[in-house]
Amino acid sequence: MTGKKKMVEAKNLTCAYNGHTAIENVNIDVFRGEFIAIMGPNGSGKTTLLRAIAGMIKPVRGEVRVYGSVSYMPQKEHVNASIPIRVWDVVSMSILARNKKFILSFSLSKEEKKAVEEALNAVNMLELKDFPFTSLSGGQQQRVMLARALATKPDVLLLDEPFNGVDLPTQEKIISLLSKLSEKGITVITVVHNVSPLIHSISRIALLNKNLIAYGKPEDVLTPENTLKAYGVSIPVSVCEEGYLHPLFGDIHG
Amino acid sequence: MLPPFLERAILAVILISINASLAGTFTIFRDASFLVAGAAHAALAGAALAIVVEEAGFHVPVLLGGLIFAVATAITAGYASGKGKLSGTEDTNTAIAVSFALSMSLAVLFISMIREYAARVWGLLIGDLFLLSYSDLKLMFASTLFVVLVSVIFHRAFLFISFDAEAAMAYGVNVRLYDYIMLSTVAVSVVVIMGGVGAILVFAMFVAPSATAAKIAGTVGSVFLLSFVISLICGLLGIYLSFNFPFSPGAIAALIASTTYFASIFVK
Ligand SMILES: Nc1ncnc2c1ncn2[C@@H]1O[C@H](COP(=O)(O)OP(=O)(O)OP(=O)(O)O)[C@@H](O)[C@H]1O
Ligand SMILES: [Mg+2]
Repeated sequence: MTGKKKMVEAKNLTCAYNGHTAIENVNIDVFRGEFIAIMGPNGSGKTTLLRAIAGMIKPVRGEVRVYGSVSYMPQKEHVNASIPIRVWDVVSMSILARNKKFILSFSLSKEEKKAVEEALNAVNMLELKDFPFTSLSGGQQQRVMLARALATKPDVLLLDEPFNGVDLPTQEKIISLLSKLSEKGITVITVVHNVSPLIHSISRIALLNKNLIAYGKPEDVLTPENTLKAYGVSIPVSVCEEGYLHPLFGDIHG
Repeated sequence: MLPPFLERAILAVILISINASLAGTFTIFRDASFLVAGAAHAALAGAALAIVVEEAGFHVPVLLGGLIFAVATAITAGYASGKGKLSGTEDTNTAIAVSFALSMSLAVLFISMIREYAARVWGLLIGDLFLLSYSDLKLMFASTLFVVLVSVIFHRAFLFISFDAEAAMAYGVNVRLYDYIMLSTVAVSVVVIMGGVGAILVFAMFVAPSATAAKIAGTVGSVFLLSFVISLICGLLGIYLSFNFPFSPGAIAALIASTTYFASIFVK
């Protein structure tokens, strides 16, 4: 964590779809260079919170502010993976959109090309740059989507379940990449279901279930009372050699 | 030399193939084929209304009537589908289905008001590539030019919002605006194709070639190219066969195009 500059600030944030409230009275601050996780059961409003931060939906009450540029990686289910766009072109999308080069003139400048290349390299996908998106495995597609978010070199990186379907070695590589980015001052906010692999890397967890149940250090958030409130069951936790708490998801026996 | 009516038919098939390739492919990528069916129904109502107006003594090009109705429907349906709005899309299909009902009611109402030109109504419904006039072709040509221009200028935006509307919004792309432009362009194409093969077959000629191409081809560019080739071959075969046998050329073309689609499913 570097500095104490606030990058994201939500105050009494309430968002709704057609009058149906999805998140209510959420208060969150995220600082420059922080790496945080958002957790919560299905339908608890994790995606909605990211959408609000990205400015895609307007709050019905309260407010949300971001002090810098944002990149967004959507949840896998929200992407139409049946279009055979080249991997390279998928990653270029974010840069073209950011630099308003969408209409007619869409050739990348030298630096832009370098940014696409670096982003693809960071997720180990550079060799497949000419492959159509449709020909990739689910995990490879996720890595391309992450590369697209990285390519614009944002101040705030918003990731919605980026590890969904990604194999463990790549997952580890991505987590250490995100840690490095946060050390460089980029703010990383990621939705995850299984927080174990990144518990050493994150500074705080936001536990959501329509309301913000808890927000703070992992060991303060992942208490039996809080997980019971969020998930309806208390999630067993183990402590690793380095003294970190690891929630044991998917490891509950009858 | 080919007889002029045959030349016109071949020219129309080329124009139709360009539209089926560009707009058809965007439709498949955006998952909007249901919406295209809605625009086709509306185009029929609009064209029928143009004939009614003409009988009342005011000249309106028939395809222009179709054009106005189709574009209006596409925009309404686009609004209902809520792309770029992120607030519930569960009622889209119902909204479009009801708009079918409205279009068809209007179409039948207008057709029932037409007194003298029953043959033209028949022409609207099933089309006839061999009966196209030069002014029909001129309008088809102008519309096709429009569709090509819009596609060249906006294809990246169309692809991005179809691929991933959410991220497009997050990166500041005006998803709603591009969606409206894309759907209106598609509606223009619907009317061009209706001019050639009639309202009943427009859907087949529009969707089948690109749907087939999307099944087979591995890149965006080759989907466009292959759907053009498929609809061109289907159209020319339709003309060839109906020149020698008493078949409707549009029906043959649409029959081959949709059969090809099913064949591509089984082959895959
Ligand atoms: N586009 C939308 N239109 C209408 N309602 C929506 C929309 N997106 C989400 N919702 C509703 O808002 C609530 C929160 O959804 P959200 O997608 O934010 O949850 P989530 O925590 O991301 O869930 P998941 O773990 O399944 O991804 C849910 O009740 C959901 O049905
Ligand atoms: Mg979600």
